[in-house]
Amino acid sequence: MTDTRISPARPRTASPAARAVRPGPRERGTRLLAAVFLAPTVVGIVVFTVVPIVGSVVLSLFHWNVIDPPGFAGAANYREAFGDSTVLVSFRNTLVFMVFAVAAQLLIALALALTLNGRMPAWLRSVFRSAFFFPLVLSAASISVVMKYLFNQDFGVVNWLIGLFGIAPVPWLTSEHGAMATVVIVYVWQQFGFSFLLFVGGLNNIPKEIHEAAALDGATGPRKHLAITLPLLSPTLLVASVVGIINALQVFEQPYVLTDGGPGDSTRTVVMVIYEKAFEQLRFGEASAVGVLLFVLIMAVTALQFRLSRRFVHYQ
Amino acid sequence: MTDSLYSRRALLRYGAYGAGAAALAGTAASWDRLTGADIPGRDDGSLVVATLGSAFAPAGVRALVDGFRRLHPGIKVRINAVQAVDWSDFFAKILTQIAAGTAPDLVYVATEGVQLFARHLGVPLDRWVRRDAAELREYFADVHPSLVESMMYEGSLYQLPIEFNAADMYLNTRVLRRAGADFPAGDWTRDDFTALLRRMKKASDSHFTPYFWTNRLWGGVVPWLFANGTNLLAESKAPGGSWLWDAFYPADRRQGRGGGFRWTTPQATDDLVVEAYDYLAALVRDGLCTRPEGGNGQNLIGVFSTGRVGVTPAGGFWAGGLHLAGMRADGFDVQYFPRRHTQRHQFGAAGYALLRTSKKQDAAWEFIKYSARRDTLSKLFTTNQTTPARRSMLTEDRYRETGPAHWRVFYDTLDRFPDTGPIPAPPQVAEVTQVLLKHTGTALSSPGSVGPALRRMQDDLEKAMERDV
Amino acid sequence: MTQATPTLSRARYALGPWARTAGLTVCALLTLGPVAWTVSTSLRTPAESFDLPPQIVPTHPGTAAYHGVFEQIDVWLLALNSTLVTALIAAGQMVTAGLAGYAFARLDFRFKKPLFALVLATMMVPLQVTIVPVFLVLKSMGLTDTLLGLIVPAFPTAFGTFLMRQYFLGMPKDLGEAAMLDGAGPWRIFRSVYAPLARPGLAIVGVLAFNYHWNEFFRPLILETSGRNYTLPLGLVSLQGNLGTGSVSVVLAGVVLSMLPAVAVFVVGQRPLREGITSAGVNR
Repeated sequence: MTDTRISPARPRTASPAARAVRPGPRERGTRLLAAVFLAPTVVGIVVFTVVPIVGSVVLSLFHWNVIDPPGFAGAANYREAFGDSTVLVSFRNTLVFMVFAVAAQLLIALALALTLNGRMPAWLRSVFRSAFFFPLVLSAASISVVMKYLFNQDFGVVNWLIGLFGIAPVPWLTSEHGAMATVVIVYVWQQFGFSFLLFVGGLNNIPKEIHEAAALDGATGPRKHLAITLPLLSPTLLVASVVGIINALQVFEQPYVLTDGGPGDSTRTVVMVIYEKAFEQLRFGEASAVGVLLFVLIMAVTALQFRLSRRFVHYQ
Repeated sequence: MTDSLYSRRALLRYGAYGAGAAALAGTAASWDRLTGADIPGRDDGSLVVATLGSAFAPAGVRALVDGFRRLHPGIKVRINAVQAVDWSDFFAKILTQIAAGTAPDLVYVATEGVQLFARHLGVPLDRWVRRDAAELREYFADVHPSLVESMMYEGSLYQLPIEFNAADMYLNTRVLRRAGADFPAGDWTRDDFTALLRRMKKASDSHFTPYFWTNRLWGGVVPWLFANGTNLLAESKAPGGSWLWDAFYPADRRQGRGGGFRWTTPQATDDLVVEAYDYLAALVRDGLCTRPEGGNGQNLIGVFSTGRVGVTPAGGFWAGGLHLAGMRADGFDVQYFPRRHTQRHQFGAAGYALLRTSKKQDAAWEFIKYSARRDTLSKLFTTNQTTPARRSMLTEDRYRETGPAHWRVFYDTLDRFPDTGPIPAPPQVAEVTQVLLKHTGTALSSPGSVGPALRRMQDDLEKAMERDV
Repeated sequence: MTQATPTLSRARYALGPWARTAGLTVCALLTLGPVAWTVSTSLRTPAESFDLPPQIVPTHPGTAAYHGVFEQIDVWLLALNSTLVTALIAAGQMVTAGLAGYAFARLDFRFKKPLFALVLATMMVPLQVTIVPVFLVLKSMGLTDTLLGLIVPAFPTAFGTFLMRQYFLGMPKDLGEAAMLDGAGPWRIFRSVYAPLARPGLAIVGVLAFNYHWNEFFRPLILETSGRNYTLPLGLVSLQGNLGTGSVSVVLAGVVLSMLPAVAVFVVGQRPLREGITSAGVNR
């Protein structure tokens, strides 16, 4: 704890001081150091991400089934993708999934973090924190196999459990809405711990004096949270939602194992479609085209978030 | 406080140095492991055989390699047991290797992929089969022609089948007893089947569903289509193939055989198809049958072995599965799939496909031949997690420990219903399967949706079949 | 350690402490329930697996399923491979993310913003899209079917870099400025002032890398060919048996076994992890 003092006010770009000094050995030294420090990351990214992405973009302009030599297709793969109802449905599913999953993930995490922030013995707090983080250490594929047992309509533990409260069995995996709900639940179950820890950290960083000042002004309970805590937490909310959305838009394992995209197309996500087109149907060009579209979508959503954040996020 | 903090820090620092040194030493020590240099026989020109890892037990794979080495000391062979969860994972792996020019020589392929491989990647085995006819006579005499025919494409043979599974009906004997029902006769009808489900339902509590099935190409809705005498895609046979039938099968067994199946025009809105879906929808509505879940049916063994399900379609592979799940040999039994207009059954088979890109095709053929030998298969298939393609291997002894009592049904399915055929798997199989599962899911997920779902299935199938893959 | 100091407002919080604890307990049970079910099912015979109501404490516990795992797969070799891969990736990510994060946070150079955007953008590319080109790149380096082929491409980490940048941004700037006035060069400022403060942040990068790559399935599936190069998640697949006929208990025992190291790392790394994450969500 001693190492992590956070000083609240911080200018946006680093070291204007360095710039004030006239160009000299120090500045050159800084640049050299930056180059050395960045080299492993940037070289790695160029070789193992940028080159493959460029490869995919090029591939999206070709017809290629892996076996025969590729043939130039121009925009045909994109036209095909836009004309394919499965592709369009998968984008809709992914967005619906993203909205529900991220909202649920953030709300649950925030509620738990705020509740945990109240008075409580330290050991108990630690137990809860561990419990909420725990699902994150499991493999999504294995846990989805387990969840498939638990959510079985006729024999699963979940329906037995809600049956105790007199609720009729829900067709979790075998109806369209049920399947989407199940995928969201299983995903959120595993992921909320991450946002939770972010919020715990964010709350810890809110200076105590602010709470006390608010209390003197008569703000208590939920009102205090809305008026004071949330704005102070908004930078954390931004980080949690950006990472949450980027991950949610790439969801694959949970629907793949739980529902295989069904019933119908109701839980088929974009990444599933990419996988199916490439590795099941041997249409690598079209798969790449869909991949490029997804990439553009994620970039757009993220850019939009940062733009909106200028209005809603308050830095201390 | 400061003291203890200081010493703890020092401890931590030395600990970190120690860990760092250990990590460096460990990395250096395991350099061979990291670069794969310690793997014997890598890149040494071995014959490479790719199998679906979960298909054979590791011990079986070892026996397979050792046996081949003894027989052909001059041919180095390496088995890549690809640890894929399902067929599409397996395929993803093989395709990536093909794209990179590092494809294996032989690939273990099931019915789903037979025509896809034959069309794009495979080499016909015809010339080797002709050359070694004398040696193979015993094999073909032991293997049912329906299995062999399912490995043919446009008149040529692409694989020697070594295992298969027909979709028969498994029944939980405890549930039968609870319902006071007799074990059904081999010529039971679909109405008998329905009556049995009703009886089971009546005798059980709310956590019981008589019939359970998985929404997949094998053992899903297709067996019901077969019983109705129809299929998802209009079925015909390619000409040719008489070179094989005439050489290896007597006249009465080769009658009606051709050069492999052709699946062409989609017929999802065919009356008989619609009728089969309506039947299943009615079972769902009456609580006699689960709504079909997607996926690999991992739930199935658990719910069947605990008597929460009475009946389900499965093949010989399930005898071993239920045994592993702790079911006694007399806890379950197997009967033919019930008849409606016909009692034609559905099966899937598998064997090794030889890739065109292989530079060791003669050696690869030796492996194919070796893999189909009776002694080889006996070592490979020890746990009844599949049905051997050789009739002579299905013995009293083999099923004594695992059951079921009517184990003969597994192979008799082929003899008794000689028109029993493979699941419909044209080269466009991936899309056809996806379309089938997708619309089957919607057709049965809510009442009244069979008609619209099948119309959409028909449209999508037409699009899929137009595509040249 | 953490700020449990009661303040006036907290004491008057609408929910009573008991209600709060009860609510949190229910949530914790829901979170851990599936894990408990997995562990308890792995300790029974498959025939007892699906009892309703579920028996969390097995009536006839037995470790047969665990023996089954060790009989069917070479757990030790798989674990060795997984350990090598995961540990080296974690170590590598700590280095790359620590250095790059510092550069983005504290050093001044041209193209900083676009470079940072590039790093972040790599988070947005699904693996399934690039796996074939990645395989081709590795092939040209002779790294397919080696453990290094799994390790090296995983060294750059977008999220780790992002995290470390936030982390360094959160450190007081006056420390560095003071050192500069004392005549320290940029390297010395990093080495003597900031690097020692970065440990909790690096720990979180390491733990997250471990969690993710320990459970990784798709990359090893595509990139590794020889059985001797398989990692645990790949090896566990064969427990499922032909057409899913493997014993459920054995499959789940495999899941539990593979979970243990991740849990251990989580327990050991929990504190630095918490401290590291604490600062990731602040600043910009």
